[in-house]
Amino acid sequence: MSGLLAVFNRELRAYFYSPMAYVILTFFLIVNGWVFSLIVSHLNDPRAGGLATPLKFFFGETIFFWLVLLFITPVLTMRLISEELRSGSIEALMTAPVSEAQVVLGKYFAALGFYIFLWLPTLAYVVIVGRSSEVDWGPIISGYIGIVGIGAVFIAAGIFASATTKSQIVAALISFAILILLWAIAFIDSLVTNETVKNILAYIDLMTHMSEFGKGVVDTRRLVYYVTTSALFLFLTSRSLEAKKWR
Amino acid sequence: MIEAQGLTRRYGEFTAVEGISFSVADGEILGILGPNGAGKTTTIRMITGFLPPSSGRVTVNGHDLFHEPIKARREIGYLPETVALYGEMRVSEYLAYRAQLEGMSRGDARAAIPRTIDSCLLGDVSHQIISTLSKGYRQRVGLAAAILHGPRVLVLDEPTVGLDPKQIIAIRELIRDLGQKRTLMISTHILPEVEQLCRRVLIIDRGRLIAEGTPTELREQAQGSSILRLTVKNATPDIVDILARLEGIESATERSENDQQIAELSPEERAATRVELGYSQAIDPRETVFRTAVEQGWVLLEMVEKKASLEDVFVRLTGQEADTPADVQANMPAEPTTIETDSEEVAS
Repeated sequence: MSGLLAVFNRELRAYFYSPMAYVILTFFLIVNGWVFSLIVSHLNDPRAGGLATPLKFFFGETIFFWLVLLFITPVLTMRLISEELRSGSIEALMTAPVSEAQVVLGKYFAALGFYIFLWLPTLAYVVIVGRSSEVDWGPIISGYIGIVGIGAVFIAAGIFASATTKSQIVAALISFAILILLWAIAFIDSLVTNETVKNILAYIDLMTHMSEFGKGVVDTRRLVYYVTTSALFLFLTSRSLEAKKWR
Repeated sequence: MIEAQGLTRRYGEFTAVEGISFSVADGEILGILGPNGAGKTTTIRMITGFLPPSSGRVTVNGHDLFHEPIKARREIGYLPETVALYGEMRVSEYLAYRAQLEGMSRGDARAAIPRTIDSCLLGDVSHQIISTLSKGYRQRVGLAAAILHGPRVLVLDEPTVGLDPKQIIAIRELIRDLGQKRTLMISTHILPEVEQLCRRVLIIDRGRLIAEGTPTELREQAQGSSILRLTVKNATPDIVDILARLEGIESATERSENDQQIAELSPEERAATRVELGYSQAIDPRETVFRTAVEQGWVLLEMVEKKASLEDVFVRLTGQEADTPADVQANMPAEPTTIETDSEEVAS
């Protein structure tokens, strides 16, 4: 347990020691701030006719939300294991009395922690809206649940990609490919005629998930999907780290 | 303390280490010697649990590395060949991280970190960012991280590679201090290092264990009788015959030097005669030789007893020249035979 904490602390700090974190943070806030201001100005325009569920637009209804998620999570995770493999610090790490699982989980929670930290400033938007109108907390909370849930899956996929290569760039590309697949798989929905496959695709369609979270719907099946998918990727990561020794 | 049985490691078709067995007793300092690529690092990595052996087993203080990896690893402090640290951290931060990784309690860590910083002479740089440190300091940080949790066994893989002569001396002194309280295993391809530090040596070549013993035992194996080398001024032409007749002398030959060696001699030495005497170890012929020289009016410029160095053992066993670091070579006289005494000078 102390090994997990040690890895977690180190990784979380490493984010703030590198300039990358601040670049990501800036980029992230500019994009989200812009989307927020678009929504607000739309709502303020008497000709626009308003939005029935404005939070849906902030949480996942725009392409910006997904672009940010698809680009930022690979960048957050690419370094985690590949850098240890490249520099050789993996040797000092894996000969310490810690298990592969502890190392992987420590790094995973650090990345997830930083990801959550990225989203924290967006709570300011709630405060801003709250000054001039009433805030509907339900969809806000469910929206953030969706963000953390999908982020958890994306980061787990990213850390798995990072364990497969010594190169951070290659790791980022692999995780980007996995994320695109996870995100876009449901797009083939219209090509499929089989009812079961259609159901499965509907079940794992992240776009629908976020749109529902933005309306305030928390479907536990979705949470189960996030938890199991993340666990699968983390298991694969830990295994791939072990397998490295045997080759 | 460490038991290794039949360690074999294959990488695909290639067998890096084959059937190496040895044990390291509590408090012993064991050196693993071998040319580059002999399988030293692979062996070390199997001992520290970084690489699982293809076959064979390792136990550390009774804990099997395969069945109880965490317990076994806790007993070991390990300095890998390439000391890779996290460049963005400060030295003290890194040590705090290692302490937590090793599962030390906060109190233990708070006591151990300053003590380790002190003993590894890192006081000046403890607040410096690791990426700004020189190689020598990084090596010491790696060593500090390895001893921080007070392991009973310390495993050092090529601890002085890539350091300048001054840093080498500092690291060796540190290692010697550490070895007083711990079981120590050092791999190196530098012979003086082994002679200075280790009480027992394993020689590995092409993945196999080819010799084992104390440096003295290995030297005796390499050479039966002892050799005395003389440099004599004003020698009479019959010097070789006279010396050959002395009691205890088995052979006497006039020795010629190669051009490079001659170039390094003083003019006086160049004019002198050089003789090599073989003698049985039962009788020390030095006194007789000296008195004979006086009687004959020879001037003895030099009389050196040549001991077989580990280098001789090494060359004989592996059929390769051992690496001697450039700095040692520069300080070495043309006579490679005085390596022991000379390397002592380098080290102190």
